[in-house]
Amino acid sequence: MILIDELKNDDIQLRLNSIRKLQSIAKALGPDRTRAELIPYLQDSVLEDEDEVLVALCEELGKLTDFIGGPEHSTCLLPPLEVLAGAEEVVVREKAVESLCKIAQEITNSAFEDIFIHVLFRLSKADWFTSKTSACGLFTISYGRANAEFKKSLRKTFIQLCHDDTPMVRRAAASALGNFAKQIEKEAVKSEILPLFQTLSNDEQDSVRLLGVENCALIGSMLTQEENIHLILPVIKSCSLDKSWRVRFMVARLFKELCEAVGPEITKSELVQAFVKLLKDTEAEVRTEASLRITDVCGLLPKDTCIRTILPCINDLVGDGSQHVRAALAQVIMGLAPIFGKEDTNTHLVELFKKLLVDDFPDVRLNIISKLDLVSKVIGIESLSKSLLPSIVDLAEDHQWRVRLAIIDYIPLLATQLGVEFFDEKLSSLCMTWLGDPVYSIREAATSNLKKLTEVFGVDWAKNNIIPKVLSLHTHPNYLYRMTTLFSISVLSSVVGGDVISGSMLPLLSKMVTDKVPNIRFNVAKTLQTVIPLLDSTIVQQRVKPLLIKLQEDSDKDVKFYATQALQLCNLTS
Amino acid sequence: MGEFQDVDRYISILKECKPLLENEVKDLCEKAKEILSKESNVQGVKCPVTVCGDIHGQFHDLMELFKIGGNCPDTNYLFMGDYVDRGFYSVETVTLLVALKVRYKDRVTILRGNHESRQITQVYGFYDECLRKYGNPNIWKLFTDLFDYLPLTALIENQVFCLHGGLSPSIDTLDHIENLDRVQEVPHEGAMCDLLWSDPDERCGFSYSPRGAGYTFGKDISEQFNHNNGLTLVARAHQLVMEGYNWCHDQNVVTIFSAPNYCYRCGNLAAIMEIDEKMKHTFLQFDPAPRRGEPHVTRRTPDYFL
Repeated sequence: MILIDELKNDDIQLRLNSIRKLQSIAKALGPDRTRAELIPYLQDSVLEDEDEVLVALCEELGKLTDFIGGPEHSTCLLPPLEVLAGAEEVVVREKAVESLCKIAQEITNSAFEDIFIHVLFRLSKADWFTSKTSACGLFTISYGRANAEFKKSLRKTFIQLCHDDTPMVRRAAASALGNFAKQIEKEAVKSEILPLFQTLSNDEQDSVRLLGVENCALIGSMLTQEENIHLILPVIKSCSLDKSWRVRFMVARLFKELCEAVGPEITKSELVQAFVKLLKDTEAEVRTEASLRITDVCGLLPKDTCIRTILPCINDLVGDGSQHVRAALAQVIMGLAPIFGKEDTNTHLVELFKKLLVDDFPDVRLNIISKLDLVSKVIGIESLSKSLLPSIVDLAEDHQWRVRLAIIDYIPLLATQLGVEFFDEKLSSLCMTWLGDPVYSIREAATSNLKKLTEVFGVDWAKNNIIPKVLSLHTHPNYLYRMTTLFSISVLSSVVGGDVISGSMLPLLSKMVTDKVPNIRFNVAKTLQTVIPLLDSTIVQQRVKPLLIKLQEDSDKDVKFYATQALQLCNLTS
Repeated sequence: MGEFQDVDRYISILKECKPLLENEVKDLCEKAKEILSKESNVQGVKCPVTVCGDIHGQFHDLMELFKIGGNCPDTNYLFMGDYVDRGFYSVETVTLLVALKVRYKDRVTILRGNHESRQITQVYGFYDECLRKYGNPNIWKLFTDLFDYLPLTALIENQVFCLHGGLSPSIDTLDHIENLDRVQEVPHEGAMCDLLWSDPDERCGFSYSPRGAGYTFGKDISEQFNHNNGLTLVARAHQLVMEGYNWCHDQNVVTIFSAPNYCYRCGNLAAIMEIDEKMKHTFLQFDPAPRRGEPHVTRRTPDYFL
């Protein structure tokens, strides 16, 4: 009974804890006393508690079936949940509805018809909107279990809720409508539900109308094309011209689903114009959502329709006043290349890509660069490099380091496709510039880029073209840049082979052992540790070990630490 | 090698922005106390070193800082206080910085800011965050007890003087600072309070600060102080500056602020100052780390307005 005492405690945390232990309390009491004492107690005293406690109570009540004697007794949980379903706080009501739905699935048919369905009817006819909104959430689950007579009254009750005076109830009904319709016989859908859908789509409140848009896709997929043209299409069209931007926003967001629901023919003949209007909408939010669907929608249309009607809008959007619209467009526009094909991409799209590549807003540039491969597959690398490479090279010096990083990530792919001559001529000096970038992450990416390039062009190329340049960085006056030499050695060592390591890397490392900055000295130790497993054991013993012994005697604690760690590896391989 | 096993493990947990267990924090704070109590009020620091300003619990932006400046211990760092309060991850931020200090004491210097105090943290968020993340105030107690040991100022190669706030009318020379008893809660007035609270100002001399603690000090004061102590520069934090760094007093004083888009709403850049082995300085500015998974704000009206 200590547990029950805690239910009355002044401290909300303690009450909350004991609600969370409701299953243990019920187990201790046994099913009979739980039904006879605990549940009525909860109903009498706890329902006035703070919302946080009530949310927990709703959840726990839904898990209590096994502790009150099984499904045949579940109905004793309904009275408190019925009260909670009328609570002021929406989170409490939602949890109550969730638990009610759970119980509805467990109980016997007779309990369902004798008790549960009447809970639903009572909630639907309550005075205050809170209970009615909760009722809306119970129809979908109840309909399948109800007999013909009850089915009829359920439909009738739902219709009343759709016409309720308070927008909150109509909103709840509108969001339940689509899934409820799926449960209903097709004839009844047409005669009873469709008119509701049309009424709700013309509701005076935009929050109700926008839920209608979601239902278009759901209900549309249940109807024939003919029915769609007559019943759904007018709703989509009027919503896309709605005076509230939130409704138009929702149409734009769901445009692909709406197109799929009405099929390709109607999309082409009727919806394209609506889409064009959304792309030209006065609100940036709507244009952003519509821009994000451009590739999806074009995928459903014949190419000539895209070029004739959608492309002019895209041309405008490239220069849109809102950076979010342009960023959204940049996110999807590259996906048009496969749809347009080589020739039309070159004619119509490449110029637009170029404009977006020099956009003021970094996200726009970044979105384009990260999808360049989509385009190179379509127009071929040669054509891509001719038209876009100059812009790409400019971006290699972009002031946003994440844009530079995106370019670096793209370099190995570009190198594979361009070939070694073209690369040496156009890109190799860039790759070296990045090694001296002020931002550490760019220097780091530049070193792993060198490794990938070596994998593409081979060790001989690396020996002649990059290793001398990398090693020359060791004279840089700033330790952070000298460190780049060491990082490059670590990264490259795994691909260049033992000869290059012992021939050109080890001599340099032995020079750097006496660097005046300790950070360089302990990174020499770390670098030596990476190359040890790649070298012949005699070289390790004769040339690496003496360097490490020297570093182990360093006055700096960290140099000693990393030298000792590397020496242990030396001794393992001897 | 076993010496650093625990701390290395703490660091890898913290880098994922996960808090440590209570007993792990206790262990870490004991180790840190031992190291910090041996440091002086004017802690000597060698160049090269990267100097950073306020962080304020913006953990992801601290990770961005390391992406820009390089990782610890490869890059040496000096942080000038205000690790906690305001941001959402004060616990993870301060624990990580203390762990780095314990692991690499010669590579990292952490000074005390005015927010490293019992009083301030109870108002500006660190106390509540500890309570929320650990369910009790023990962690807050451990850290605020440790804060008493943080050095008040640092001196790079006898040339660049670093501290959180600014100068004090009761301090003429660095020796004065060495003589303070720093192991205590930040007082409401006096030299120790001023070092953590003062701001440079266009007015000459010392004036009362609008903050209610510390003073504002003019160009004459900075010039005099640098001249008397053979310094080239005072580097300090404590104030939001839109470009991340800001020179004043004829380049006698620089303000560095390392929390980009401060409080997730100010729209400022952050900066760090790299001082190389020839004492040449370079500023690096940076934007907030991209926050994945957070939707960009649209004007959709929340349902409760209906």
